[in-house]
Amino acid sequence: MVDLHDITVPTDPDEALAAVVALRRLADSIERQAVRSALRQGWSWARIAQALGITKQAAHKRLSDVAADNGSR
Amino acid sequence: MFDGMKSKLNDISTIKLLCERAEAHALLDQQREPGAEHFLLAALDLPDGTARLAFEQVGVEPGAVRAAIERQYTDALRSIGLNANMPADTPVSTKPGVYQAAPSGREVMEELAATRKHHSPLLGAHVVGIVAGMSHGVAARALRILGVDCSALKTAADAIAGVGRLQAFDR
Repeated sequence: MVDLHDITVPTDPDEALAAVVALRRLADSIERQAVRSALRQGWSWARIAQALGITKQAAHKRLSDVAADNGSR
Repeated sequence: MFDGMKSKLNDISTIKLLCERAEAHALLDQQREPGAEHFLLAALDLPDGTARLAFEQVGVEPGAVRAAIERQYTDALRSIGLNANMPADTPVSTKPGVYQAAPSGREVMEELAATRKHHSPLLGAHVVGIVAGMSHGVAARALRILGVDCSALKTAADAIAGVGRLQAFDR
């Protein structure tokens, strides 16, 4: 488990910004995997959106291809 | 005049292939919109071979670029004390509608458009020259990981692109 106290933000802006980009990419990937898993377990888009803290429309717009891949829309 | 039209048609076909390959590389990278790094990989795929030649001239194996792009992500996470691998691939598909590139990819396309009068024909080396001139971002970090001297790569790519232009004039 990652202890957030162990995370140090580099003082070099280039390095710190690179970390931000990498974290966003990692978060996107985790999000897609989680949504795929939720859909496989029968979650509705409304429930997924609520869990993500976004609107159903926003969730569907950003992640609808995960649904297509899962075979459920 | 006929040669000029032929060259323009060739350029359109090259741009189409470049965009398609960039998008394919972006999707493999789980991103919908291709960035400069994906255009760089796409340039290496172009059949003219000039992008690969530019890398070879600065002593870098072109096939190592993809791994360097991935490594700059893991290195960036490690720099904040996070050892993380990307989760198993969840396929990404393209957005419907108009072709869209990420901001760094748009920068490449805009620069290609701005310098189009110098492309006769458009070559992979032109793309390499543009990306090598970008000092920040994923592509720049990947090139640093490869130990590439970006100014040397840009010089090599520009020289090769110049050679390509002269060859086209000879046709």
